[in-house]
Amino acid sequence: MGGIMFGYYDIPFRIIEKGISLSIDKEGENLLYRREYGVEKVEKILLGSNGKILINPIEPVTKPKELTPYLLIELDRTLVVEPKGTKKIFVTFPIEIGVFIRKGEDSTILDTFTLMKQKFTLYGDPRSGFICRYFTSSVYSVIPSVDRVHEGVIELNITNTTTGWIEVTKAMFNAYGMKIYYSDNLVSMRANMKVKSSQIAENDFDDSPLEVEMKKSVELFSTRKLSITTTKSIMELGI
Amino acid sequence: MILNTVIYGNVTFLDIIVAVIILLVALFIAKAISIYLRRFLKEKVAKEHLEIIIKVVFYIIIIIAVLAILPTIGVRLSGLLVAGGIAGLAVGFASQSIIGNLISGIFLIIERPIKIGNSVNIDGIAGIVEDIRIISTTIRTFDGLYVRVPNQKVFTADITNFVANVARRFEYVVGVRYSDDADKALEIIKSIIEEHPLALQNPAPQVFVDNLGDSSVNIIVRIWAPATEWLEVKTELLWKIKKALETGGIEIPFPQRVVWFANELRSRDIETGLPGPDSP
Repeated sequence: MGGIMFGYYDIPFRIIEKGISLSIDKEGENLLYRREYGVEKVEKILLGSNGKILINPIEPVTKPKELTPYLLIELDRTLVVEPKGTKKIFVTFPIEIGVFIRKGEDSTILDTFTLMKQKFTLYGDPRSGFICRYFTSSVYSVIPSVDRVHEGVIELNITNTTTGWIEVTKAMFNAYGMKIYYSDNLVSMRANMKVKSSQIAENDFDDSPLEVEMKKSVELFSTRKLSITTTKSIMELGI
Repeated sequence: MILNTVIYGNVTFLDIIVAVIILLVALFIAKAISIYLRRFLKEKVAKEHLEIIIKVVFYIIIIIAVLAILPTIGVRLSGLLVAGGIAGLAVGFASQSIIGNLISGIFLIIERPIKIGNSVNIDGIAGIVEDIRIISTTIRTFDGLYVRVPNQKVFTADITNFVANVARRFEYVVGVRYSDDADKALEIIKSIIEEHPLALQNPAPQVFVDNLGDSSVNIIVRIWAPATEWLEVKTELLWKIKKALETGGIEIPFPQRVVWFANELRSRDIETGLPGPDSP
C-alpha cells in the first residue's frame, strides 16, 4: 500500500511518492502548484494566498482526454447469472486522482492524473454506440486487496430479472452517477446491474460506502453544477 | 330571420358568422399544430429555427383559411387570382432561389444530416459547420476561411459528415524490407497501437501482411479511433510506428530495382583492362 494519502492538506505542502511529485509553494504573494509524473508536468499559479487542498479519487473518465462519461469494465471471465436471481461480485476500476482547491464551501478542480494505463473502446457499433473508457477486471467473490492509488473496488449487485440464465461479460457505468468513497486502504463504489434481457441491462450506483468510516469523495462532475439528465447507463447493445 | 339579413351585396349575417367560425377554427388548428410541432421538434431542431418553422406553418394555415372565407364574404377570388397570378409569377421568379433555399433549410433543420460543430465535406468544401440558418449554412474551412453555402446547394449536394458516427477507422500501409522479420514488425506495430489510449480496444485493430510488393513486404494497419480524435491519432501513430520499427532494426525500404546487364562481363573487362572472350 502507501502512496498518496487522500484527504485535505494545508498550504504549503509537498508530496513525493512513487515517482509523483506534487506541491504547492508560496511564490511572492501567490501560490505555485506543481505536479510531475513521468514526462507529464503541470504548473499553475494560484492568485490567492490561502485555502485548502483536497486530494481524492474522482470519476475515472477524464484522462488523457475527457471524451466520454462512460466507463466500460470488461470481465476476464464470463458470468452466468441464474434466472430471477441477485448475485454480488466485486470488480476493480482504475483510479483517477483529482486535486481540488477549496475555499469556504467552493471546491474547484486544479488538476487530475492517473497512474493507470488509459485505453478507450467502443461499446456497440459506430453509428449508435458509445465511446467508453476501457478497463479489464478480474471477478472476485470478496473484496480484493488492491493498491488504492491504482485501483478501486466496485461491489456489483447483478439482478437477473429474466426467466433464463444470462451471460454477463461486461458492465458499462455512467460517471455522472458515480458515488466514490475512500479510506486509508480502499477506494470503493457500490453499483447495481439490472439485467432485463440477454442484450439489455440498466446500471446505476448506490450512494453508500463499502466499509464503515469511509469518506465521500468530492466528485469532479458534481462540482460542475451541470443539469444532468440521467445518472444511469443503459446497455442496449449487449452485456 | 336575422341570419338571412343581407349586410352588403349578397353577403348575409349568416355568411359573416360562418366566415368568423372558419377563421376561429383555423386559428385553433394552427395553434394546435404549433404546439404539436413544438413538442415534436423540440429535441430535433435548434430553438431559433423551431420558432421560424412554427411561425411559417401558423401563417400558412391562416392564409389558407382567409382565402377560403373570402368568397363567403363576397370577395371574388377570380379577379384576385388574375392580378395575383401575374404578380405571383413576377415575385415567384424573383424569389425562386430564396424559396428554394428556405424550403431546403427547413428540411435540413428537420433531417439534420449535419450539426453545428461537425466536421463535414459539402460539395468539396471541407470544414467545420459554424451555423445552419434558414437560408444558408456557414462553414469555417480547415484553413480558416468563411464559406457561406446556400441551403439548396447543401441539400442537394453529397454530404460527408466526418463525425456523425462516434468512431472511424484509418489505415496505413507500412512496407518493410524482404530481409526483415515481418512477424517481428507485426508485433512491434501491435504493441505501439496497444499503448496508445485513443486507438480503440474494440473494434480491434487489424495488422497483417497484405502483399509482397516490388520493393517491400507491405503490412496493412487498420485502427479505429474516436471520430473527434482520429486525425491526431493517425498523425501520432504513424511516426511512432516508424520510430519503433527502426529501433527494432526493421527498416522501411526505398523503392529499388535490380538491373541485369546483358554484357556485364565485357563491362567488367573494360574496367579491369583485361581482354574479354569477344575481343579480337
